[in-house]
Amino acid sequence: MTDTLKYCYTSLKKANIDKFQCSLTKNTLYEMNMEGNDFSLIRTTIDNKLNITIIKDMRKADISLNQIDIGIIDDAINTVIELSNTSQQDPDYDISPKQEPQQFSCGSAKPATERMYSLLKEFSKQVTALFPKVMLAETVFSHNHSITNFINSNSVDFTTNKGIYRFSTLFSSKDSDKTSSFNYSGFSLKELKGEILNQGSLNNLLNQSVEHLQAQTIQGKFTGDVIITPDCLDDLLYSYIATFLGDRALITGLSVFKDKINHLIANPKLTIHSKPLSPEIDDGYFVTADGFAAEDITIIDKGVLKSFMLSLYGANKTKLERAKNAGGNWVIEPGDKSYNDIIRSVKKGILFARYSGGMPSANGDFSGIAKNSYYIEDGEIKYPVAEVMVSGNLAELFKNIIEISKERICFGSSIFPYIHSSGVTISGK
Amino acid sequence: MKVKNLNQYSSYLSKYTELRFQENRTMSIAILKGNLVQNLKNSTKGVSARVYSNGSWGFASSPDTDNIKYVIESATQNAVFLDNREKKSASPFTPDNPNMEKDYSTSKRKFVQSEVMDFLREIDSYIERKFPDLSSRTVVLNNLDMEKSLLTSDGASLYSLTPRSYIRFSLSMDKGNDPVEVYESAGGLGQFEDNFSTPDKLFETLDKLYEHLVKKNEGIYAAAGVKVCALDSALAGILAHEAIGHTAEADLVLSGSVAGNYLNKESASPLVTLVDFAHTYDGNDCPVPVYIDDEGTKAEDMVIIDNGILKGYMHNKKSAQHFAVKPTGNARAYEYFDEPLIRMRNTAILPGQSKLSDIISSIDDGYYLIKPSNGQADTTSEFMFGVVLGYEIKDGKLGKALKDLTISGVAFDVLKSVTMISDDMTWSNAGMCGKKQLIPVGLGGPAIKCEINIGGR
Repeated sequence: MTDTLKYCYTSLKKANIDKFQCSLTKNTLYEMNMEGNDFSLIRTTIDNKLNITIIKDMRKADISLNQIDIGIIDDAINTVIELSNTSQQDPDYDISPKQEPQQFSCGSAKPATERMYSLLKEFSKQVTALFPKVMLAETVFSHNHSITNFINSNSVDFTTNKGIYRFSTLFSSKDSDKTSSFNYSGFSLKELKGEILNQGSLNNLLNQSVEHLQAQTIQGKFTGDVIITPDCLDDLLYSYIATFLGDRALITGLSVFKDKINHLIANPKLTIHSKPLSPEIDDGYFVTADGFAAEDITIIDKGVLKSFMLSLYGANKTKLERAKNAGGNWVIEPGDKSYNDIIRSVKKGILFARYSGGMPSANGDFSGIAKNSYYIEDGEIKYPVAEVMVSGNLAELFKNIIEISKERICFGSSIFPYIHSSGVTISGK
Repeated sequence: MKVKNLNQYSSYLSKYTELRFQENRTMSIAILKGNLVQNLKNSTKGVSARVYSNGSWGFASSPDTDNIKYVIESATQNAVFLDNREKKSASPFTPDNPNMEKDYSTSKRKFVQSEVMDFLREIDSYIERKFPDLSSRTVVLNNLDMEKSLLTSDGASLYSLTPRSYIRFSLSMDKGNDPVEVYESAGGLGQFEDNFSTPDKLFETLDKLYEHLVKKNEGIYAAAGVKVCALDSALAGILAHEAIGHTAEADLVLSGSVAGNYLNKESASPLVTLVDFAHTYDGNDCPVPVYIDDEGTKAEDMVIIDNGILKGYMHNKKSAQHFAVKPTGNARAYEYFDEPLIRMRNTAILPGQSKLSDIISSIDDGYYLIKPSNGQADTTSEFMFGVVLGYEIKDGKLGKALKDLTISGVAFDVLKSVTMISDDMTWSNAGMCGKKQLIPVGLGGPAIKCEINIGGR
């Protein structure tokens, strides 16, 4: 326990707070930025984040600050007590129970700055040489090191020491007056590996960006198949979890899966894990925000719902079981068909590469634009498409799964295959 | 935090340098179906420096506001690291040294925490009492005070405190068919005390919102296809910001945005003039007033489209140097540890000559679209917005409410189809714009009549 957290602990005990939790994160960021193909900025930041949550007489409040001087902490504790006094009583507020103290560690504490520079320089040169029509917009390559100490009044004491490299890039292509839609991707790594271009889905997406200079519109409207790419799946899965399985969906009672634990809610070919501790995930986590040591879990097992994504509060409020982690780090089990075989099996549909749309309705209805996508007919990718709208229902989309590819893309934070589904309304001009 | 004069640190600034002290203070309270699910205060404070060395930038920051020498030295090292390798040999910026102090904090007595909480509870109780058939309800308060002091090596300086506070309410109904939801926001520039006096002042807004919800519950799905529509101000504002504004940010122009093709060309109906206002519109403060940006540039209004012709882009110092124009004061950073990026401030289509009622009565078969739920747009200006509140128009009259729908199109094409613009202007600043960092922005506009693609079921 750090001196700062010891001070918080002592002060909160002295103030007779029934239950409390405190975390202190000390974060150091080293970040290289490119605008276009040029290096534009190196940014280094150090910051603190002290979070204090108290529950007093079943009334809860939170405060966070980045100043950790004693006097400022004293003020913050007085403020959070004042906040809690104005809060309402709710017996469902709670903190995590006693667990064995643990220390977690992954990644390096210091960035390899020269290596980062040379990798990024190489990436810039490769994009210029291999994809001369690609316009990089915003590229960020960072190393983040954080030490987080977490304590609570039930004697929970966790320390996490994590170093992680993260890369993201936003790009489009331009040829004379033609501009393609932007696209983006990225990845995370514990330790630097080979060329940036070969990580995640970057090479493929840069190539597709150039192809989209020739994007065409689809005429009319039809109900067809979609092959959801790994990048697109990340967005759709986020919406799926929030719409059906998260705190808000279940506390409001709006989730259509609210009574479906151990029921079939998706095609039996679908198995989704959340694996923050798995060695195959570089950018995981060890402790949840409400103070539990995270575990790897299975959310959907062969189509059967095995876990909601409820926090401790959400679980207490709904009388359902708490998720054993905080979600994310999704790993979807591969299928046994190749991506090419899946394409060959499609009569009419699209390769659904990016979803530009809002959160679905409470019942799962979604409607948006299929960006960076391709038209498929009679088992062949015919051409890149623009201005194509897609609409359907997320619950149905996962029920209608036909195949899952054996190929998967690892982004460091998650691992996704291609998913072939059907029943989506696809409309062009 | 109140560091109003940074001149004492000017001896540390050897290369072109921006030194910024900043504190962001937030308060968030959320009541979901009567349950207090968030009751949070946050403060993030620190000092940052950004140094320019022959075309390369270095940035560093620290939460320790006494660490000024450290952040300047670290930022300089970062700039030199790049400069030694990239050797861009760029020219220095044209010196500029405006000075300004602008404090928008309230002069009224500050509410104590319990008064703020009681205010929100009273709203929540009113909703629960008055509308018992709701399936869910949410009342959310978000307050943000951004306080900063800036000094540049050119001698520009700024002290500003720019607050905003708003309450968002959403109402949901589930009668066994599809659940429906509507929302409304109140508030804007200013601290809580300046935007809210007593809860009952918001009751009429809630009553109207409930009427919309009841109609939406009995509503219909919009038919897919291109339709003539009246877009109310919130949608016209998001169209101006997301779909046009971003394409006219100079860094995105340099990255290939479609607006790069349209300079001094007809890109919208001659009725359309679209401006990114710095701080004042029609004699009144805009939702997010910026007088001097975070590079120390005096902020000026930027006319993006003037009577249908695209006239220019929004700039920081570097992009202005590239395009050989004056910087426009669009360089903005969100937290003390963020570097300034080209960001919009208060983006709006200017009012026209028509009345909204005339726009509606001129449409035989179309839709009146009122509230967006979210929006995304592309560097091609292709956009998608969710619409959570709207009505059909039949023979010039409003008909049934619409279920949630999505609209899409190519924004420059949509603006070319504009045939009427209403003579009023409504601003909102409840949203945050995301571009590496989040930042508060103002959106505004009149209602416009245009053709737009409706995504049906």
